[in-house]
Amino acid sequence: MTAACNGRLKLMPKIIIDNKEVECREGASVLEAALAGGWNVPHYCFHPGLKVVASCRLCLMEMKMPHPKTQELDWAPKLVPSCQTHVREGMEVRFDSDPVKKNVENCMEFFLLNHPLDCPVCDQAGECHLQDYSFEFGRAESRMVDEKWKNPKKDIGPKTLLYQDRCVLCSRCIRFTEEISGTHELTLVNRGSKLEIDVFPGFPLDNPLQGNVVDVCPVGCLLDKDFLFKKRVWSLESTPSVCAGCATGCSIRVDHAERVVHRLKPRYNPKVNDWWMCDEGRFGYKYVHDDKRVTTPTVRRGLEDSTPEWADLPGIIRYRLEENVQANGSEKVAAVLSPFMGCEEAWLLGKFIRDAAPDATLVIGPIPRSGEDQTFPIGATGDDIRFTISQEKCPNRRGIEMVLEAAGGKTLDFEAFVASATAGAFSAAWVVGGYPAEWLDKKLAVKMAAKIELLIVQDIFENPLMGGAAVVLPACAWVEREGSFVNKAGLIQTFERAISPPEGVPQDGAFFFALAGFEGLYTGERVREQMAGKIPAFADAYEAPLKPVHAH
Amino acid sequence: MAWKTINRQESVVDADAPSALSEAVREKIRSFFPRYETKRAVLLPALWIVQNTNGHVSHQAMVEIADLLEIHPSDVLDTLSFYTHFWTHPKGKKVVTVCRSLSCELMGGADVLAEVKKQLGIDEHGTSADGQYSLVTEECLACCDHAPCMIINEKTHKHLRPADVAGILADESNDRLAIPRSDLFDAPLGAVEGSGESASVDRVIGSTSDVDEMRDAD
Ligand code: SF4
Ligand code: SF4
Ligand code: FES
Ligand code: FES
Repeated sequence: MTAACNGRLKLMPKIIIDNKEVECREGASVLEAALAGGWNVPHYCFHPGLKVVASCRLCLMEMKMPHPKTQELDWAPKLVPSCQTHVREGMEVRFDSDPVKKNVENCMEFFLLNHPLDCPVCDQAGECHLQDYSFEFGRAESRMVDEKWKNPKKDIGPKTLLYQDRCVLCSRCIRFTEEISGTHELTLVNRGSKLEIDVFPGFPLDNPLQGNVVDVCPVGCLLDKDFLFKKRVWSLESTPSVCAGCATGCSIRVDHAERVVHRLKPRYNPKVNDWWMCDEGRFGYKYVHDDKRVTTPTVRRGLEDSTPEWADLPGIIRYRLEENVQANGSEKVAAVLSPFMGCEEAWLLGKFIRDAAPDATLVIGPIPRSGEDQTFPIGATGDDIRFTISQEKCPNRRGIEMVLEAAGGKTLDFEAFVASATAGAFSAAWVVGGYPAEWLDKKLAVKMAAKIELLIVQDIFENPLMGGAAVVLPACAWVEREGSFVNKAGLIQTFERAISPPEGVPQDGAFFFALAGFEGLYTGERVREQMAGKIPAFADAYEAPLKPVHAH
Repeated sequence: MAWKTINRQESVVDADAPSALSEAVREKIRSFFPRYETKRAVLLPALWIVQNTNGHVSHQAMVEIADLLEIHPSDVLDTLSFYTHFWTHPKGKKVVTVCRSLSCELMGGADVLAEVKKQLGIDEHGTSADGQYSLVTEECLACCDHAPCMIINEKTHKHLRPADVAGILADESNDRLAIPRSDLFDAPLGAVEGSGESASVDRVIGSTSDVDEMRDAD
């Protein structure tokens, strides 16, 4: 078997693992080469995003070295850590030998020496590498006759619990706080068999990236208070997505069951977030399940409210818009495209509006901002920055701008739109919200609504425009839709639909698709194909690798 | 023990307490800065200076050291807790160190330890009510051939049986070396130079020694 490691470098050293030739990325460790080649080499302390410490000794291998007397290449008697050994052309190593297997078995026995039989009550069960490795490489019974050490759990921060007796002391969590967040809260205390992970009392683990320590922990030691005891992981389904929390656009996984999102996890993306995500994004999805969401469409004529069938809505809207355009002219029409919309949705709605009213104004919704970009590790500059949380708290400003640019014609920013709308410049407008928090100034919104005869308002939550709206439409949260966002660096990234929207509500894209006159099933890809005619970049949206290049 | 939780978010340092490090101690610590590339490197000397001055390094002192060296308090705790020689709370006049390593364990060290705990009424890292004794355990005391054993301050007690413990603890001179020190111990240079006059320890250790400076910090 020849397995290629990922990487763009031309130099591709070949090494021999278990008698098979493997092509590797220059500078990779033997462990990485083996993992990429399909070997299941157990490892705890190695994490591709963190410095190598070679402390867990699980990944040891046999390696051929020159015999000190004869200089002939032979298997060295000592095992060496594969995570710490770089590949070199012609190198020969093996994992399938007895000494290597014995080492893993012995290591596992030590890791489990004081480990409680906790799996039935442990959140990590099902995605735990103590379980997996002891099943695969360990022994079934413990030979430990003495009483196990019992060690209470520690409340180390607002979001995290540390179950000390489950720790394998791989130090990944500590290295995360040192190398990525730069906040140094976690540390090793004591020595030898008394070693523990801890914080300095009164200096808890509390930084904007703290959720990641739970992800890097290979066992059930560091657990997320938010997810604790909520769901067994094997009943979760995962859908690849992109975080909608800010303009960074981290690749994530939406873990959900029975139409409920239970947690978000970062997904490896070498172009954006590596292995990490921030807490704001991680825990910021809760609004999706808020029971104050708008879930039914309303149409108003005079003082009469009615709830039409979704299937009838495109007809009603089309008719009323045409009526309005005929009476007032097409330049009196506007559409506000929210930076929470996917590019496809914005493009479809823009197309519908411009088809019905060629001189319509397209507007980009307000861009929520908060403070400055936050960079990590704290204090790092330039190339040393490993992670950035953008101050732009919406996922798709760039995407909406691209759509507006391609659409041409008259465009406005939101402030200018509000100014002209309150002055009576528009007789018809479609305003899309989708912001997780309040986004409209109440007074201005009411004033604006009074001036617009045909106001179509689409939002997740009630907003002050709705009182004066002719049509109120529910909007879907991003986990209920599919499409693409363009992050602040201009990268077009696709996201899939994880859960279905509240009862009966079609996802925004599908509704616009029908409205814009397309037939058949809405998929983001179909729309992007259409868009690519005008904006070639959309022919080639970026999808982060579904499987990370490391095993865990 | 997953049913028990230790609260680590709560501070153990009294915010209103007076500073644990005197200005002299701070100055002493600062005087080590020019020697190293980083302030972090002064951590061990700083811990010694504080322990030698205060008798122990309290959590408050750790926070103040961290502040001085511009590192996180957790880094101070990390280093301090690695060494059993540092005390985080006041210790008694005499420190009893019982061996917990293999040879002693095989020869009944655990029973000796239990007896010491019983006699003094304290647990490891505890201090007896009269302030006389503190108790710790250590890995091998390098007396395996006389196992099981323990050390009180400087004096090693060998071949222990639980029944011996009470007598040893009652003995006034249980912490002093039995053999008088050779003159050479205090004045090795004198012998080398053959002058007959004892040279000062300073000259032996050298005036730039950390040990020397740390002792001066006392
Ligand atoms: S808490 Fe988890 S990540 Fe940290 S050292 Fe223990 S096992 Fe490793
Ligand atoms: S940095 Fe931005 S995109 Fe990444 S997880 Fe946080 S909020 Fe989401
Ligand atoms: S020693 Fe290589 S992964 Fe831990
Ligand atoms: S084992 Fe106790 S002195 Fe060596």
